Amino acid sequence: MQRDWKFYAQLFLTIVLCLFIVVPIVMSALAGVTVNVFKGLSSGLTLRWIFEVWDLYAPSILLSVIIALTCLAVTLVAGVPLAYVLVRRPGRMTRLFEELLTLPVAIPGLALALALLITYGGVSGYRSSWLFILTGHVLFTLPFMVRSVAAVMAAMNIKMLEEGAASLGAGFWRRFFTVIIPNARPGILAGALMVVTLSIGEFNLTWMLHTPLTKTLPVGLADAYASMRLEIGSAYTLIFFVLIMPLLIAMQALAERGKHRPKRVDTAEDTL
Amino acid sequence: MSTQIKLRNCAKTFADGTRALAPFDLTIEGGETIVLLGPSGCGKTTILRMIAGLEFPDVGGMITFDGDDVTRQSIEKRRVGMVFQSYALFPNMTVAQNVAYGLKVNGVSGPERQARVDAMLGMMHIDMLADRRIDQLSGGQRQRVALARAIAVQPRVLLLDEPLTALDAKLRVRLRTEINALLRQLGITAIYVTHDQEEALALGDRIVVMQKGEIAQIGTPREIYRTPQNPFVADFVGAANQLAGHMHGGKLHIGPHILEPAVISEPLGDIICNSGSVDVFFRADGLSVCDLKDAHFTGRVEAIAYLGEKLRLTVSGIGAHTLMIDTHADDLTEVGSDVHCRVNVSRLTIFPATKARFAAVAGTGTI
Repeated sequence: MQRDWKFYAQLFLTIVLCLFIVVPIVMSALAGVTVNVFKGLSSGLTLRWIFEVWDLYAPSILLSVIIALTCLAVTLVAGVPLAYVLVRRPGRMTRLFEELLTLPVAIPGLALALALLITYGGVSGYRSSWLFILTGHVLFTLPFMVRSVAAVMAAMNIKMLEEGAASLGAGFWRRFFTVIIPNARPGILAGALMVVTLSIGEFNLTWMLHTPLTKTLPVGLADAYASMRLEIGSAYTLIFFVLIMPLLIAMQALAERGKHRPKRVDTAEDTL
Repeated sequence: MSTQIKLRNCAKTFADGTRALAPFDLTIEGGETIVLLGPSGCGKTTILRMIAGLEFPDVGGMITFDGDDVTRQSIEKRRVGMVFQSYALFPNMTVAQNVAYGLKVNGVSGPERQARVDAMLGMMHIDMLADRRIDQLSGGQRQRVALARAIAVQPRVLLLDEPLTALDAKLRVRLRTEINALLRQLGITAIYVTHDQEEALALGDRIVVMQKGEIAQIGTPREIYRTPQNPFVADFVGAANQLAGHMHGGKLHIGPHILEPAVISEPLGDIICNSGSVDVFFRADGLSVCDLKDAHFTGRVEAIAYLGEKLRLTVSGIGAHTLMIDTHADDLTEVGSDVHCRVNVSRLTIFPATKARFAAVAGTGTI
C-alpha cells in the first residue's frame, strides 16, 4: 500500500513524543548505574549506587512495605463491609457518607496532613510512630477500596444472591463469607492492588507526617535527590520502579481478565 | 409431610406509606399448588415474599405453617425453597456446589450430601452439568439448577417467583410441564407467582387472581376461566370482548335482541336479573360467524390474524369497542367486508355495569 506524506508526518510526531517521555526514563535509569553521571557512560557502569542506596535507605523501603501491607489489611477489614452496607442500604445517609469518604481524595494531601497534625500532633507516642503515617494512608486509600468493591457488588445483584442463600438456611455471616466475599473477589483484588500501589507511592501526606525515624520510600527519594549525588537518587528510582512495576502490571492483567469473562454457551443445549 | 399454610389478616404497608396489600386471609392446603396471578404491581410477589419470610405482614397479621406461628420468623428458619425469576445461583460455585449449598448449611454429612446432590441432578436431568460453572449454562439449565437447589433441602414449601418469565416461549411450555410433574411427584405445598394466565391455568390446583393489592377471586382453573366473579378477572383471563346490555325480566337485552343468559356472576345474580344495565364479557367463541338470516349483529372486518386452524377477526361496528371473533381458516374474508354473527349465550359472562361505564356512556351522549 502506498502511504502518503501525512502518514510519515504522523509517525514522526508520534516517535518524537514517545522519545520525549521515554528518554528521561532511560537517562534516569542509566544515571543510577553510571560511575559518574557528569562524565557520562564513558566512566563505566556499576551497581555500587544501588548497594549504597540499599545500605542507606533499607529501613525506609521496609517501612513503606510494612505501611502498605498494614494499610491494605485495614482497608480490607473496614472497606469491604463498608462497600457492602453502601450497596445494600442505598439512601440519602449512605450517599452522604460516600461523599464524606471520598473527600480525602479531593482535598490536597497537605491539608489533610495538617489537619491530622493539628489534632493529634500532641499525642507524642502516636505522632512519632509509623502508625501516624498509616492513618493518613488509610484515609487516602479507603475510598479507592470501597469504590472498587462496591462497583462489583452493585453489578452482581447482591440482594437476590443473599435471599437465595438465606432461603437455603444460611445466616448472615455464612452468606457474607461464602457468597458475598467470593463473588466480590475481582473488586477486592483490584482495590487491594490499588491501595498497595497508592500507599507505596504516596508523598504529599507522608512528607508532612514523617519524622526522621519514619521515612517512607518516596520521602527517602526526595531526601536522596535533595542531599546526595544524582547517581544515588537515580539508583533509588530504579529500586522504586522494580517495586511498583509488578503491582501496576498485576492491576492491568486483572482489568483485562475482567473484560474477557467466559460467556455462557449457546442455548442450543436448552433442548435437554 | 406436606405443610398447610395459613395467612390471617395479613396486610402490607411499605415504609413510604404505600399500601401493597389490603388485609386478606388465605389458606393453602398441604400438597396444594396455588398460583398467584395478576398484572405487575398487584401484590402477588409481596404475598410470596411474606410466606418466604423476606417481608413481614403489618401488625395484626399472622402466618402459620401447620399451625406453627412463623409470622416473625426470618427466612433462614422457615425451611422454604425459593426459585427466583433470575435464578439467584451462586456464580462462584459449580452446579453441584450450588445444589449442595443448602445441605451443607443444614449439616448434612459428606457422603449423604453427595448422594442427595446426585439424586437431585439426576431428577432434573442435569447430571452431566455437575462440574460446570453457572456462567456456562443456558437459561433453561440455570432454572433447572435453581429448582434442584431449592428442593434438595426438602423444604416445607416451595416458592416460585415467575420462574419461567426469562425463558423463550417454547422452553417455557416445556419446563412448565416438567415443573407440573415435579410438584405432583413431590406432593409438596407450592406457591407459584406469575402474570401469565396460561401458566396459571396449566399449573394451579387453585388460582388466586390479584388486583391492586386485593384478592379478586380464588378458584380452580375451571372456575376462574368459566365463571369469573368480576370484570377484572374476566378480562385478565382472556374474556376481552365486551358489549353493553341490560337485564329485564331475567332476560338479557343487547340492542334489539332478547337472549336467555346462562351464566351470571353468582353473588350479583338477583340484583341484575330483574333490571339494570350490564356489561357482557366473552372470549372469541362468544360470537360465531353465520349467515345474514340467523345473525344478531353485522360488523365490519378491521383486521385478520391467521392462527393456523382458524382466523381471528377484529370486528368493529358492534358495541363501543372492537371485538375478536374466530372463524374457520378456510373462510374467505377480507378486511373491510361485512361479517354476520350470532351470540352464543352459554359463553357470556354478565356483570352489573360499572360506574366508569356509565360515565363513558354519558360522556359520549353529550357530544
